[in-house]
Amino acid sequence: MTDVTISKEQALAKERKMRLIRAWLPVAGLIFVFILFSFLTNGRLIKSLPLAMSQVYVIMIASMGVFFIMTMGGLDFSQGSILGLSAIVVCYVSKYNIELAIVAGMATGACIGAINGYFYVNRKIKSFIVTICTMFLFRGLIKYLTTNAPVAGSPMIVMWDTTAFKVGSTLVVIILGFLAFNYTKFGTYLRAIGAGEKAAMFGGIKTDRVKFLVYVLSGAITGFAAFISAIKVGSVTSNGGNQLETQILIALVLGGMPISGGALARFSNVIVGSLLFVVLSSGLTMMGFSTQMMQLIEGVVFLLFVAIFADRKSIHVIK
Amino acid sequence: MSEVRLQVRNISKTFGVTKALQNVSFDINKGEVHALIGENGSGKSTMTNMLTGIYPMETGKFILDGEEIHPENQVHANNIGVSIIVQELGTLSGLTVAENIFLGHEEKFITYGFRNTQKMNAEANRLLQEYGFTHIKASDMIDNYNFEDRKLIEIVKATYFHPKIVVVDETTTALSQEGREELYKHMNRIRDEGNTVIFISHDLSEILDKSDTITILRDGIYIDTVKSKDVNEEDLKKLMVGREVTGDYYRSDYGEKISDEVVLSVKNVTVPGIISDVSFDLHQGEILGFGGLSESGMHEIGKAIFGASYDREGEVVLADGTHINDITTAIRNSIAYTSKDRDNESIVLNQSIRDNIVMPSLNFLTFGKTPFLNWHRIKEFAKEYAKEMSVKMVNTDQFVSELSGGNKQKVVLARWIGKNSNILVLDSPTRGIDIKVKQDIYQLMNRLRKEGKSIIMISEELMELIGMCDRIILMKDGKLSGEVLRSPELNEQKLISLMV
Repeated sequence: MTDVTISKEQALAKERKMRLIRAWLPVAGLIFVFILFSFLTNGRLIKSLPLAMSQVYVIMIASMGVFFIMTMGGLDFSQGSILGLSAIVVCYVSKYNIELAIVAGMATGACIGAINGYFYVNRKIKSFIVTICTMFLFRGLIKYLTTNAPVAGSPMIVMWDTTAFKVGSTLVVIILGFLAFNYTKFGTYLRAIGAGEKAAMFGGIKTDRVKFLVYVLSGAITGFAAFISAIKVGSVTSNGGNQLETQILIALVLGGMPISGGALARFSNVIVGSLLFVVLSSGLTMMGFSTQMMQLIEGVVFLLFVAIFADRKSIHVIK
Repeated sequence: MSEVRLQVRNISKTFGVTKALQNVSFDINKGEVHALIGENGSGKSTMTNMLTGIYPMETGKFILDGEEIHPENQVHANNIGVSIIVQELGTLSGLTVAENIFLGHEEKFITYGFRNTQKMNAEANRLLQEYGFTHIKASDMIDNYNFEDRKLIEIVKATYFHPKIVVVDETTTALSQEGREELYKHMNRIRDEGNTVIFISHDLSEILDKSDTITILRDGIYIDTVKSKDVNEEDLKKLMVGREVTGDYYRSDYGEKISDEVVLSVKNVTVPGIISDVSFDLHQGEILGFGGLSESGMHEIGKAIFGASYDREGEVVLADGTHINDITTAIRNSIAYTSKDRDNESIVLNQSIRDNIVMPSLNFLTFGKTPFLNWHRIKEFAKEYAKEMSVKMVNTDQFVSELSGGNKQKVVLARWIGKNSNILVLDSPTRGIDIKVKQDIYQLMNRLRKEGKSIIMISEELMELIGMCDRIILMKDGKLSGEVLRSPELNEQKLISLMV
């Protein structure tokens, strides 16, 4: 009997405690993993931090787009292919003009996003099916374009590979995203669609248009990430952007993002998640784990976090 | 003296923060229709859902004919003699009528591992004949039948094996008069066979008319068990609410003239398959009611005005000539809409009260003309209108999913009051809402009317239409079938004669 008659206040307090844990666990995890690997690698992690950080830019930028998609209850598995194809376009165009290459990369991403959005919104196919299809389709195109040799960009392109540019542009993108998500209608609309699309529509939100535009936006953002990825080596192989979609998904979930999206999504999920993911994977590399072993460990951590952060109250299926 | 069939002993149940039932004990006898009443959230359905194995039990005992029972699921509950007819659809699409009737009990038609479909259909047809539902064929897909017929099939499914207890959980709200009569007939038959019906309904006159004994629950606590013949509606209301229901329930005025000023005209509106060629005017400061059977198309009228119908033909025009063809235009032009399907269409459940209230008003809650939201104003706005509607909540950050039906509806209304809407289209505004909140909503409608706002009220409850509306339009088979004006002489029979 005693366990049944817990008071409403106690139960509410318990729920608040759970919410607090959910909010702080990723941050605590980040600090813990950082200290753990610094210790395990005898401080090599801290020394090689700048190198490790070079991975963060692409993942953080690209996961912001997917964060928007997941907040409104969708998924996107085509991110890796978007990055690969956009990077190829960036390399081609960079031979003429590098600033134009940035725009072209973003346009390519936006186009693939529009294709995703069209089939998702207008043809009413679930987003994960659509994006798995486009993932295969555009990976095929990337392989075709890189059949003979990797696509190389203008030799000048690597000149852009400076920490100042990468940190600066990542900051700009993240700050713009943060403002849009927390301080304009955009974020409120996305959360509303994620939590209850029909009700959002009856509340005056043009749900179809928002859904379509978010896919276009996310494509464009990843198109920009493709530029940052391309300037690192100056060329793209058939594996360019491979598995980025899974890395993004893991990063967001590690950051505390509920896999079903909705009102519990926080912008900090993007930042904490991508940092945590990068520290985790570079730590594992430095400890000398094989790629296979790393994948196994990351998989276990992923599953664990999905289980912790799953928002079981919103039982709806991912759109 | 009648014998005890079911002893309910110290039953408790919690859902997260809510204590749905607390230490409830009472007896239910053989050969009676035993009504369970209480406001929304009082625990009626929780109780019967545990009895029929839909929810797991927590603490306490159900003793059926002297033996303690632990129903694990609905099939198990059927096997020990308990069945249920639910409010919404309880049959499965994609199966035949016979397969639905014998769902979970196919074993008696199975020989050597094969199901004898012919035998099953024959048995189902025999039962349908016996019940008098001769127009239903056992081998047909269930999808060929409408809501009403599917309910009849459910009656067969729940009662053919003569269970000791049949739970009828708010089934009647979804049925037409004919369907109800059919259901009452079978409830009486079950009682006359010496078995028991547990009857849940919000309609107190129906409860008094059809049941022998009434048990009242309030906030999960057992209040009393009374004989139907010893009480009246007022007594029951008092027991349910816990105090005297005072003041006006509906409007009390009669004979007020409807303004000549038309605020909205609906011209030749057709939604294929649902409504055809509907035209009417809405005047300033009037409450215009729409009544009819659930399938009469009246619910689509609300969607059509709000620009939410697919494939709508015809025109919805405001006084200034604006055409309403989509939801955004409707909201921008001060039209509000509350859906019958509150949880899916009116409100975002897994979101805070604040986000729900400010959703259509976000354009006005920014810093000047910039796109940036003014969170201070948003918080104040939500707080102000939640307070005005006296929503029972911890704060506006609370998720709507934690609120009761009545409070959810208050959040929906707070959103539109905040938007200062001039035309309110309220579809089933009091559906599944308890008496206290109902009264609040009626008073609010009356106040809005006096402020000069126009209201369209679509409802399946004829009494509230009669009580609240200046004019009532009746609908039948997607067409307007009659119109009556407010008058103290108006009664349900008059309306029913126009809608069936």
